[in-house]
Amino acid sequence: MKAAIFDRPEKVSKSFRNQMTLWQRGANWLLLLIVFLVMMLPLVNVLAISLSNNMGSQVADVTLWPREFSTEGYTFIWSARNLARAFTNSSVVAVLGTLITTSICAMAGYVLIQRDLPFRRGIATAILVTMMIPGDLTLVSIFSLNKALGLIDSYAGLVLNGLVSGFSIMLIRNYFLSVPESLAESGRIDNASELRIFLAIYIPLALPGLAAITFLEFIGKWNSFMIPLIITNKPELYTLPIILRQLTQPTDSTSGVDYIYPNARMAAIVITITPLILLYSVAQRFLIGGLTLGAAKG
Amino acid sequence: MTAVAAPNKRENKRRNNRRLRRKLWQYKGIYLMILPVFMYFAIFTFYPLGLGLVQSFQKVRLIGAATFIGIENYDKVLGDPIFRMSFINSVVVGTVSLFINLAIAMVLTVSVNEVRHKPGKSLIQTVTFLPYLFSWTVVGGMWLLILSHNGMVNEFLVKLGLERMMFFTSPAWGRPVILFTNAWKQAGYFTVLLLASVVSIDPIIYEAARIDGASRMRQVRYIIIPQVWPTIKTLLVLGATGVLRNFDQVLIMNRPATKDSIRTLLLYIYEEGITKMKIGTATAAATVVMATTLIITVVVRRLAKYEQDASY
Repeated sequence: MKAAIFDRPEKVSKSFRNQMTLWQRGANWLLLLIVFLVMMLPLVNVLAISLSNNMGSQVADVTLWPREFSTEGYTFIWSARNLARAFTNSSVVAVLGTLITTSICAMAGYVLIQRDLPFRRGIATAILVTMMIPGDLTLVSIFSLNKALGLIDSYAGLVLNGLVSGFSIMLIRNYFLSVPESLAESGRIDNASELRIFLAIYIPLALPGLAAITFLEFIGKWNSFMIPLIITNKPELYTLPIILRQLTQPTDSTSGVDYIYPNARMAAIVITITPLILLYSVAQRFLIGGLTLGAAKG
Repeated sequence: MTAVAAPNKRENKRRNNRRLRRKLWQYKGIYLMILPVFMYFAIFTFYPLGLGLVQSFQKVRLIGAATFIGIENYDKVLGDPIFRMSFINSVVVGTVSLFINLAIAMVLTVSVNEVRHKPGKSLIQTVTFLPYLFSWTVVGGMWLLILSHNGMVNEFLVKLGLERMMFFTSPAWGRPVILFTNAWKQAGYFTVLLLASVVSIDPIIYEAARIDGASRMRQVRYIIIPQVWPTIKTLLVLGATGVLRNFDQVLIMNRPATKDSIRTLLLYIYEEGITKMKIGTATAAATVVMATTLIITVVVRRLAKYEQDASY
């Protein structure tokens, strides 16, 4: 299932080489070139503006290279506007949340593969039902709930909301299913506890799955927008998406006093996506594997 | 054992009960492992669901007890022209967006699959997929600048000697901008999933087709498309649940001029419930949307003849 999307066995490529006409191949490359430019130019533009100086970033032009190279946008947004605080908040909430979520979901996934477990089907159905409920529609009630629990403006609230995901449970369950059951049986014969079988046999053998849900959960939490939007009012608790939203709203509507140069605004975007790009370059295989399996099992 | 005593039903039942209880006890550790999940779903999923349903029939005051007022909230919501407009926006933009993204992903899949130059192939996959990992605050924020009056796109048009386009100040551009940026962010994700099913095609099938003299185009039509069809159906079914759930994108990308043409149901619920604190109408609207989503899901599943993995 970890279908190697990025490489295809040599045999295959030989078998259908040169089947498209030259004209078709040219048209295909042209299409892909256009797609590439449409995807790439906006990112290049953002990076170039972020690395321009204050004045340069305001020049109205097709900016694909920094105008008057400078990192003043980065230093301004990081210290003067305290993006550092939001970065820390996002990191703490995302890392802590991911660790807890992954542990809880992995345990639940293990429960779902116990064949003789009474009520297993009922449990699985309940989890599937939560996946069908569009949770974000209940945002008003989620707000009321958080208020009642005293979670408004707290780190606990940011971590607790969205702590369990049916998708991750089902995903890790699918990875666990590929672990040979005889291993668990031999563990049981040796009188190992279920927790021990889970930790010593299943977790090591389902590491790619664990990596997949860890990375997917981290990305989801890093990008989480609605929850911090409705449960935080204090700037000290703002996460990156909340700050970014404020920064990227065109400033013409506000009273020009608080003008932030485009280089600083784009610097905030670059800072926010850098961890994601790093993560992708390290964990591409697990991410794609997890997403593919997740969609296949719907 | 059963043959020895064939006692009455009650005896049997009691024995079964005892066996079940013993089994439950034997599995107590296992149940403990799933306890956090149940507590979470009870508190953060099912309770808000029930609370919303109850509050949709109530007049909720900031101070003092809520009173039951029947379907008054529903009357108000269904009679609200802004709600109706949001409903139409959500359905139209959500559906069109889903189909556009799937169509683009289809074309890209076939196209990328033809590329034999490996670095080029992985490069194009990476750049199309990458924005899927970014939040809407990032993607929306980028495009707010790029499509602004002096942004890259308009400056490019001016260089070509064309007029500037008022992407955020003309209502007519509201929906196209939403559809385009949505495709920019999501189509690569669909492409990756479709490509994963294309690579699982047995090369012998191509070989056979080639020997029979089938052109590459015919192979695409009769081998590749049928192969990815189940994945497309899955994406359609999964996407249908999300049609009415666009929130982040429109909250970030709406401008005063375009807001009315793109306001979605979730944005409406947010404005009613959180901004204006009208909890009754907001929860009534949420309940209506929930019911609609359920209907859409069921209908699409039927139409796509989609069977959920029954192995649970």
